[in-house]
Amino acid sequence: MSPVVRPAPFLRRRRALVAVWLVVAVTTGVLLALSRVTTGPLDDPDPARQRPGYLDDGPLPVPAPQVTEDIPAPGRRAVIFFVRPSELEPLCEALPGFDPGQEVDVAVVLVGEGGRCPEPIPVVADADGELAARYGLPAPRDGGPPVGYAVVDGAGDIRYRTLDPEVASLLGEVSTILRAVS
Amino acid sequence: MTVRRSGTEGRNGLRLCLWCVLAVAVEVALFSSYRGHDAKFHWFTHFFVGASMALLAMAGVALRTRRPVPVPLVWPLAGHLFAMLPDVLFNVGIAHQRWMDLFLGHISSHFVPGRNLTWYVVFLACLAAYLAAVFHVGERQDRSTGAPER
Repeated sequence: MSPVVRPAPFLRRRRALVAVWLVVAVTTGVLLALSRVTTGPLDDPDPARQRPGYLDDGPLPVPAPQVTEDIPAPGRRAVIFFVRPSELEPLCEALPGFDPGQEVDVAVVLVGEGGRCPEPIPVVADADGELAARYGLPAPRDGGPPVGYAVVDGAGDIRYRTLDPEVASLLGEVSTILRAVS
Repeated sequence: MTVRRSGTEGRNGLRLCLWCVLAVAVEVALFSSYRGHDAKFHWFTHFFVGASMALLAMAGVALRTRRPVPVPLVWPLAGHLFAMLPDVLFNVGIAHQRWMDLFLGHISSHFVPGRNLTWYVVFLACLAAYLAAVFHVGERQDRSTGAPER
């Protein structure tokens, strides 16, 4: 019978320790690779710029172009949604449940024509994407028109803008940004 | 060769596994809490940054106390929770602000060149540093107790 030789206490645990951390390192690496693969065509090419959650990123604030005759209006905050025709219906269905608080105007800019939202939310056609470009929304990964939103403060400046292809289901986040804007 | 495990070792291993399961379960819950598919990007940044800082702290504590830290998987979880605290505040309606960089660069850490790939490499480097520190103190501990090595 061969003699029983027990390795030192720490060395006995070394393999288990390395194995546990190897699993952590490999798992997080695989998940990171998967997350890059599952990026959508409407996402920002730079994920760090999508839904950053803070005001005045980069060159902001900058003056906001008029979307309608009275949006944005002096002394009133505004949120301008930018959508493609395929995203208009879910957004319009979600907007009646959107409670942005007092003194907030809402407008929808549609790349295309013929869309409507429940009153009193105006839908503005932006067939050539000029308005989206003037608001400085970046082109998504597919190179088409942006889907996202911009938030304008009472002084008429753009304080926040982001691509957000899932904005219809994330309107609570828009409320959070609006609360931060005076 | 026959190696028998004592009852104490078995209980210690079980306790370690329970901490592992707890840490993994909390991380899965945190991952799921990021709404919107693009938000996973933020989970990765704060996980890698928080875990990296925790691993460096673990290495420092191990070298100073000359013994491996207890419940090692919980430390990165704590680092991650600290780094992502502004996201918890965001979920209750408080938008991000620049001062939130106090939480391990919560805002600016997203903008490093290479983005999350860079932070993954940093995480691996910190993990290597931690393991090197633990091996160093562990082998010293074994030598000082006169335990045989294999």
